[in-house]
Amino acid sequence: MYYISAASTISHQPAFLNAGFSGVIEPLHAGSELINPDYKEYIEPGLLRRMSKILRMSVACSGACLKQSQIEQPDAIVVGTGLGCLLDTEKFLNNALTIKGLLPPTSFIQSTHNTMAGQISLRLGNHGYNMTHTQNSVSFEHALLDAMLLIDEGEKHILAGAADEHIEFLDEISRNLNIKPAPGLTSGASFFILSAEKSERTLARVKDADAIGLVGNIPEKISMFLDRNKVKSGDLDLVLFAGSKVVTKDEIEEFQTFMKMENLHCMDYLKYSGIYPTASAFAMHFAADKIRHTRSLKNILICNSLIHSNLGLILIQSVEA
Amino acid sequence: MSVRITGIGIVSAIGLTVQENLLALKDGRTGIMPFSFRNDNKTFLAGAVRATNTDLRKELHIHDQYVSRTALLGLKAACEAWQNGKHCDEIRTGLISSTSVGGMDLSEKFYSAYLHGNNPDFEILRMHDSGSTTEKIAVELGISGYINTLSTACSSGANAIMLGARLLLQGKLDRVLVGGTDALTNFTVNGFRSLMIYDEQWCRPFDESREGLNLGEGAAFLLLENEKSIRFSGNRTLAFLNGWANAADAYHQTASSPEGKGATLAIQKAIEKSEISLSGISYINTHGTGTKNNDLSESVALKNVFGEHMPAFSSTKSFTGHTLAAAGAIEAVFSVLSIQHQLIYPNINFRSAIPETGLEPVTILQTEKPVSAVLSNSFGFGGNNSSLVFSNHE
Repeated sequence: MYYISAASTISHQPAFLNAGFSGVIEPLHAGSELINPDYKEYIEPGLLRRMSKILRMSVACSGACLKQSQIEQPDAIVVGTGLGCLLDTEKFLNNALTIKGLLPPTSFIQSTHNTMAGQISLRLGNHGYNMTHTQNSVSFEHALLDAMLLIDEGEKHILAGAADEHIEFLDEISRNLNIKPAPGLTSGASFFILSAEKSERTLARVKDADAIGLVGNIPEKISMFLDRNKVKSGDLDLVLFAGSKVVTKDEIEEFQTFMKMENLHCMDYLKYSGIYPTASAFAMHFAADKIRHTRSLKNILICNSLIHSNLGLILIQSVEA
Repeated sequence: MSVRITGIGIVSAIGLTVQENLLALKDGRTGIMPFSFRNDNKTFLAGAVRATNTDLRKELHIHDQYVSRTALLGLKAACEAWQNGKHCDEIRTGLISSTSVGGMDLSEKFYSAYLHGNNPDFEILRMHDSGSTTEKIAVELGISGYINTLSTACSSGANAIMLGARLLLQGKLDRVLVGGTDALTNFTVNGFRSLMIYDEQWCRPFDESREGLNLGEGAAFLLLENEKSIRFSGNRTLAFLNGWANAADAYHQTASSPEGKGATLAIQKAIEKSEISLSGISYINTHGTGTKNNDLSESVALKNVFGEHMPAFSSTKSFTGHTLAAAGAIEAVFSVLSIQHQLIYPNINFRSAIPETGLEPVTILQTEKPVSAVLSNSFGFGGNNSSLVFSNHE
């Protein structure tokens, strides 16, 4: 079993170091902003200046997780990111095309996808397994699956998380590709400590997860997933979903019909996280927080089909379940 | 606890197939040549694959309007390793690729057009993200389900192999195609130049006079199967993957620690896992990029582990150039070939040892010595160190 012993999120919701935030969230609206913590509590000012958004979010979230769990060194650090370090990638591309002569290397160094996992290990002096997964909209699920595999192999505490950053250029791309992402593209980061054993700090447990690429029959995959976990769809107290098959005026109804979940309580988490490739990590923190603070909840399914060819599934259960 | 390797595929500067790569390795023939990007007059040394995108599209029957060179190279190597594998519902099949640039070869063309106001085609950017490279390969091979991409800079390919092995051993998959692919891009050439570690001469791994790396491009894939899958496929076992480990150096975002901490840990843990004794390692295919920092740090790590009893070692990057995310996979294929054909490859361009360590790599092809186990190292930015151990036995 896999226990969530700490969770930390930077998003549009007041989630950072705020247990119980799941009770006070509000849908994103025009002009709503990312709620940044005081980064100086986690990062020295000199270093902070050179860090892009995705990097400072990841470092702060991982720092907050370790503090909550009172673990000095995790056995491994596993990160998922859909698009990686876009700010530094764009900056280096720009520099290369506009500057004649020697280019400053910092943005190249910080453009690689594993900058976050590397930087976290550097700050902790951590010599454990260090991995970065990047598979589009299921990058977080793949990072989580790796963390679960490490626990199956005998590790005790894994720092696992995901982050993606928004750059203005993404809005220009979506306009040109005629994609109208509602409720808007944004950034976000969520990190967790996944532990082999439960403690008084445990928020919830991850019963199972899956990431299915080039998925065919989504409802069938969902029932197979529930079956193998001996959970009936009626046992689900809440389904957090992203990406209904067809965007209609009533997305929830659309989703329920498509997923054959007519009688279930469903919630589109993108309305609260905004859209970024690893938003399902926000959903996992939301689910864990909700379960920890609502005694009656036993099972929450996160059903991520943000991109319809990929399906991410995470089953969160209360510790007593 | 070993995993069977039943298929290999490779495309690099020294050949478009396993056979061509093997021949060039035997002949000591480098693939690093003067190179320039199309529409650019700057010439530099690089290990380019001798096939244009048009050649690759034609051979692979790819008709999409846009497909990155990274995906084309990856698909070429993946097809060779997959050997027209058949699908069956009972055999859970996965694909784990790795890349550092993804579709950057297309994105940088787009971005140049965009900055110059030359009617940029935004559709190109659908190929940018690394995951789409892997999805393209999966679509062509008919693989669905576990499809994943790792991106840990220059150790990515080795990490994909490691993750595949772990998934087989934990019973999550029966068969998994693992590897990596990266195309040459202005982005990475400019990047390594900005770090002042791009050698304008032929790279000289482990040589006292080394000044940096030459970039290369390519891809390699290996097919890993469990017993159940082999009963279905009938594939012959080429070699075994016996040990693996990844460890963080936690020293600097790009440089390796002078005492080779992360590298030493990765090598030690991988050998320990393989249950092969230190003296049982016949050959080490090193990371050996030719940069002052890597080769010294790696030499120190090798001495930390092997002391005075250093096995034969060499870097094959002076053949292929540094192929970044593909390097770990390309060198894994070279390791399998080393075991299959009893070959220890020469470290071309080596003259005199690094004074601090005095280590001398193999400089002439060795064919007389039995090769039963090979250690392969891959180290990347962010202090990401991975080692794999291959052998001829379970």
